[in-house]
Amino acid sequence: MKVKTKHIMNLFYIPALLLFVAFVVYPFTQGIRISFTNWNGYSQAYKYIGLDNYIRFFKDKNVLGAFVNTIIYGFGSTIVQNILGLAYALFLNSKFTGRSVVRAVIYMPVMIASLIMGYIMYFLVQYDGGAINDLLILFGKAPVDLMSQGPRAVLIMTLINILQFVGISMVIYLAGLQNIPEMYYEAASIDGVNAWGQFKYITLPLLMPAISSAVVLNLIGGLKLFDIIMALTAGGPGYSTHSLSTMVTNMYFRGQHAGYSATIGIFTFIFIMIVSNIIVRYFDKKEVEM
Amino acid sequence: MKKFASIILGITLSMMMFAGCSKAPVETAPAEEAASTEAAAPEAKAETETAPKSDVKLTFMSSMVGVPSEALEQACKDFTAETGIAVEYSAPGANYEELMKTKMASQDLPDLWNTHGWSVARYSEYLRPINDQPFAKDIVDSIKPLITDADGQMYVLPSDVDLAGIVYNIDVMDKSGVKVDDIKTWADFEAACEKIKAAGFTPVHIGGKDNWTIGQYFDWVAPSFYITNESKNYRDAFKDGSFDWKNWEEICAMLDKWNKAGYLNVDALTSDYITGAKALGEGKVGFEFYGNYAITEALGAFPDAKLGMMPVPAKDASDQPTLIGGERLATGVWKDSPHMDEALQLLNYLARPEVCAKLATANGTPAGLKGVESDTGIIKPFYEKYANVKTFPYFDREYLPSGMWDDLCITGANVLSKQEGAIRDAAKHMETSFKDKFSQK
Repeated sequence: MKVKTKHIMNLFYIPALLLFVAFVVYPFTQGIRISFTNWNGYSQAYKYIGLDNYIRFFKDKNVLGAFVNTIIYGFGSTIVQNILGLAYALFLNSKFTGRSVVRAVIYMPVMIASLIMGYIMYFLVQYDGGAINDLLILFGKAPVDLMSQGPRAVLIMTLINILQFVGISMVIYLAGLQNIPEMYYEAASIDGVNAWGQFKYITLPLLMPAISSAVVLNLIGGLKLFDIIMALTAGGPGYSTHSLSTMVTNMYFRGQHAGYSATIGIFTFIFIMIVSNIIVRYFDKKEVEM
Repeated sequence: MKKFASIILGITLSMMMFAGCSKAPVETAPAEEAASTEAAAPEAKAETETAPKSDVKLTFMSSMVGVPSEALEQACKDFTAETGIAVEYSAPGANYEELMKTKMASQDLPDLWNTHGWSVARYSEYLRPINDQPFAKDIVDSIKPLITDADGQMYVLPSDVDLAGIVYNIDVMDKSGVKVDDIKTWADFEAACEKIKAAGFTPVHIGGKDNWTIGQYFDWVAPSFYITNESKNYRDAFKDGSFDWKNWEEICAMLDKWNKAGYLNVDALTSDYITGAKALGEGKVGFEFYGNYAITEALGAFPDAKLGMMPVPAKDASDQPTLIGGERLATGVWKDSPHMDEALQLLNYLARPEVCAKLATANGTPAGLKGVESDTGIIKPFYEKYANVKTFPYFDREYLPSGMWDDLCITGANVLSKQEGAIRDAAKHMETSFKDKFSQK
């Protein structure tokens, strides 16, 4: 009877499995097929060109630039977001007046669509009439075209991404901190362990599941960064601020290289999958039982 | 934590309420419903009541935005009022090209759509030829070569003809002591820029955040370098793919020269089109390499601005200034439309002189059909003044394979960012992309 029930229960997986096949597996296999063609993205005529797109991919310095930018967007955001998110969480885990308001303010940018956030920030950083330049002029300084240089623009967009999503890290860490029993800290205090020791030997190890979740979420979000880039620079000047995600869109729609775009997309997918797996496995080993 | 959650929930709900109260998107509006519910013109209303009902609903996707889009939508409503055939009109704006490409890829196209300059090179695979339609013989001669393929087939009804030059602010010219009629070559243009700069204005505006404004430079300037000179040009070389892209460096070098000489706005890489158009209207900028739509945009913000249009200078004294022409509001019918008869009926409705005149007037451009007069607004005297100036098609549409627009924009941005070797790299990039896409043709 139990075996029969188990079999029936397994049937409930089928809808999810079908959706996964329809919306993930099938498009992915189609993407692989397209990556071997010279398809322009709209015509019914195209031909198979073997590994040409992959050879081009590994020689393309614009893609290399986008890859480096992706690493900066992904890892830069993740590192700062998590340090800052943990700091906020530790601070806001203590009781003080106005704590809820501070939490809400830090979390609020998460609720804004990234594209909107990008447009809001454009009014801050634009050369002509941007708030930062208005302040510079007010203090007698010359205005600066902040987004005209690729590396600086990449840094600014990473900071904007951090500002927007640090609230998620904060909430994850807050939840993690509230799950750590108070008795551990009481025992440590009786044993004479100072605050740093408590953080290092109690808080951090017990926060590992939260750290794992926050890091993986932030990393995937950062590596896929798209909306903020489109709103602020659309990948420009030239290709200098493109991420791999924006490069995929750019190559498909504007460059009309759907085959090459699929190649970049597949690389992006595999890269994010490998990095995420490594991170998850690393933190799995660090986790301790409560 | 409860308090925190309640604040978050409260803010989210408030935002949802605001979203619910906001104006609904205007992109999709079944013309039939709109025609029956709006306070339409009495005669149209009367016709709605008498028009025979039809089960057919045509889909129409437009690349137009603003006033031209409203005029086209109104024409669809009037068509519905007259025939009873509903038209679902949509104008997705900036996403139009992306949407159309995905629709072509999936072969799930609207019954009719606008081709924005690409009726032959991009859309002809999916369009029904219109040579057999009654209006075909009335299409103005100047646009016929631009919408005809190698087999002599035309695919669209051109409601108007895009005729463009360099737009300028008359006050800025006067204050700088520049006479646009004296500008015949790029050397003259540079001398004018020097005067404008000395008078404290920005000679030329580029809004590089909208990087198509950089591509516009090449589209405007390239014909004078490679196409328009009858005694020496590269028309055949572009057509047969043998163009020596080393020659492309000179057009990039001119952009670089202007940039380094301070003829462009300081934020040429990060400003945008709207800012540029407003600056033109406000009298901060001398010239812009945009179509006449920039004048409409500038007048929207500064209705009293004195603006004009001039032909594009020649490369040197051996050639003459020219204008740029092409499709603007052109409509075609999907070759596999399940409602072919009704779609052609709508196309012919749009070709009626009074409808065509309204649509061309909304664009501020000359009509695309013979015998149809449109009101071209403040540009009218300039169209009349330059009626005999030779017109050449948009460079990228005619001489580059489809899909190279982005290459113009990107390489131009690299030149503007003053990267070392950007001019040489730009020519190489163009060559690689040209050969790649030319082989796909």
